[in-house]
Order: sequence, then C-alpha cells, then structure tokens
Amino acid sequence: MDDIVSGAYLFTGERSARAYRLNKMAMAFTDAANRAAFKADEEAFMDSFGLSAAEKDLVRRRDWKGMMDHGASIYLAIKIGGVTGDALPAIGNHTAGRG
Amino acid sequence: MATIVGGIGSSHAPTIGVAYDRGQQSDPLWAPLFAGYEPARAWLDALKPDLFVIVYNDHANSFFFDKWPTLALGVGAGHPQADEGWGKRPLADLPGDPAFGWHLARSLVEQEFDPTVCQEMAVDHGVLSFLPLLTDTDWKIPVVPLAVNVIQHPIPSARRMWKLGKAIRAAVESYPADKRVVVFGTGGLTHQLHGTQYGQKNMAWDNEFMDRLESDPEPLADMPLREYMERGGTEGVEMILWLAMRAALGDSVTRVHRNYTAPFTTGYGLLALENTDTGTLPA
Repeated sequence: MDDIVSGAYLFTGERSARAYRLNKMAMAFTDAANRAAFKADEEAFMDSFGLSAAEKDLVRRRDWKGMMDHGASIYLAIKIGGVTGDALPAIGNHTAGRG
Repeated sequence: MATIVGGIGSSHAPTIGVAYDRGQQSDPLWAPLFAGYEPARAWLDALKPDLFVIVYNDHANSFFFDKWPTLALGVGAGHPQADEGWGKRPLADLPGDPAFGWHLARSLVEQEFDPTVCQEMAVDHGVLSFLPLLTDTDWKIPVVPLAVNVIQHPIPSARRMWKLGKAIRAAVESYPADKRVVVFGTGGLTHQLHGTQYGQKNMAWDNEFMDRLESDPEPLADMPLREYMERGGTEGVEMILWLAMRAALGDSVTRVHRNYTAPFTTGYGLLALENTDTGTLPA
C-alpha cells in the first residue's frame, strides 16, 4: 500500500519506528508532571527523551508539517500542541501548507 | 442466555466531550448533535440493557507504539479515564464486567480472534465522548470495551471487523446468564486531520454509509481500506468499526433513530438499530 492517500500519510511501521522518540515524548504529555516539566525547560525535556538534533529543531520551530513528514502520528502531534498552545486546526492547517 | 437487543453506531471526538463539559448543548453549532442523541437515549433507556460492548479505538492514550495491540479487550472491574494530554474530564470511572469480559476473551480466542486481555485499560474519548449523551454518567450499565487498531498500519480489514461482530454475537449467545446486551461501534465518520486535505469531510459518503449499514451492510465489508481512506480520510477509516456493531445484529433490524450533523471537520453520525432478527447471519 502506498504511504500517502489523498495528500495524507498512512502511519506505517516505518514512520512509527523513524519518529519513535518524538512520538514517545509526546506520549509522556498524558502525565501532568511531564507537561509541566516540558514547559519549564523544553530543551532538557527533549534531551531526556533522546530526540535527535533535527527532531528538536522541528519542535522548537513548531514545525507541524515537518514533524508529520518525519513520521509523527497526528494523535501524538496534537499532544505536543497541547503543551505548546497549538490546537488541532492550527496544526492541521500547517500540515496542509496553509499557515 | 444473553441476547443482543440493539446496536448503536456513533461518531466520537474530543470536541464533543469539551462541548458537553462546557454546557454547550444549546449552542447553535452543537444543538443538532446533542438534540440528535435524545431520541436514541430514550430508546436505550426503554430497552433496559444490562451491558454495553463497545468496539472503539484508542488514540495513543491507553496504549503507545512500544506495545500496540491490534485488538485489546478490557476485562477489569472498572475502566479509568485516560488523560489525553489536557487533563481528565469530570467523569467517574466506567464500571466493567469481568465475568462477561473473560467469557468474551475465551469465546473470541476459540473463534480465532486473539485479543490482548487487559485487566487495567484506560479508555479515552473513543468511548467517553459520546457515552454521556446516551446514558446517565453515574454509569449504571457496565461496559466491556474492545479497542481495535485503526491508527498504525497494518490495520485489520473491514471484512475482519464484520467477522469480529459475528464473533461477538456468538460470544453473547453462548453466555449462560440472562443479559440484554447493546453493541456499539464507534468512530468517524469521515474526517481528515492532517495533510493537504486537512478538514475535509465527505457528507454524501457518510450518509450513504449509514444507509447501506442499515439495509445492505455486508458488501461494505468487501471495500478495501484504501477506498475507505480515499473516501473518508486516513483518520476516517475508523468507520469500519461500525461494521462490527452491525454484524453483531441480525439480518433484519429496525432503525430506531438516525442523526447526522457536520458543523466542524468531522461528520458526526448516529445510528440506533433494534435487533429484530434473532436468527443467525451467514458467516
């Protein structure tokens, strides 16, 4: 099956493996203490999850399209949005190239 | 013997929970959705069900990709609410039914479905966004949740969901205690949460899907996942979960209520079917 359907990514095993650390960090935001820790020190929090330099840069720039291109799951990307103050419409429109 | 007395197909979405908690039931954008659940709720009350079996999907809230089950069955005495990343809603934990849950586990495995059996399984908006619209939130009716992977490919086919519904029915009908069971299938309807077509929905297909689910559902099981995604979005593929609900019912159903509204990015559907045929469907 192709990786892209109607301009959207299939979240495949390859994507899940490639963006595993980024998605895992996002999953941690289901815990309030981790949400607070990220807000207090983004860089330290990203380092604690072993994000690559490129992944950290995507988060720093709130580059939602870049995160999705890399392999983020949309369901995890919105958890990152939860701590950065970006809701689904902003994230979705960014991935569509509209903002 | 336990019997399946009805089936409900419903969309789920975090925004429904937010609107519910904010008391936006009369807000012009939301009223068609909330009002649409009221007749189904009245029917469900009158049906006097003893148990809900809810086929839904987790959205990386209870599970993560370190261990991501294709099927996960909640057999615990209760099901806590998952924190999805924004804090929990003011809702009590759902009661479970361990005796039925373990029976369902045994029966599914005998029928060659192999769920991950979970004694602690938090549930997310896949269950909790629409359920308060259909029943009191003191949760008098126990819930056995069955989570299906529709997020990380490979995901099960529509045909697999059809067969799962049959297996649920066989499990219910082999349960020795008298129980009136309502089966839910929840997801969708069409929505696209990322990519160049972000925000697009397909209202014509949503309504065609509900038409066919009611009157001629079985061919929907033949539709490839790719076609579901082309018609309804990569995230909209959740709608295959409604097939499990429909297959758990008999050939002949009576539509009690149907509602559709799509004020935002997702088609919100609701279909309540009373099971009027207790004969067995062909496999």
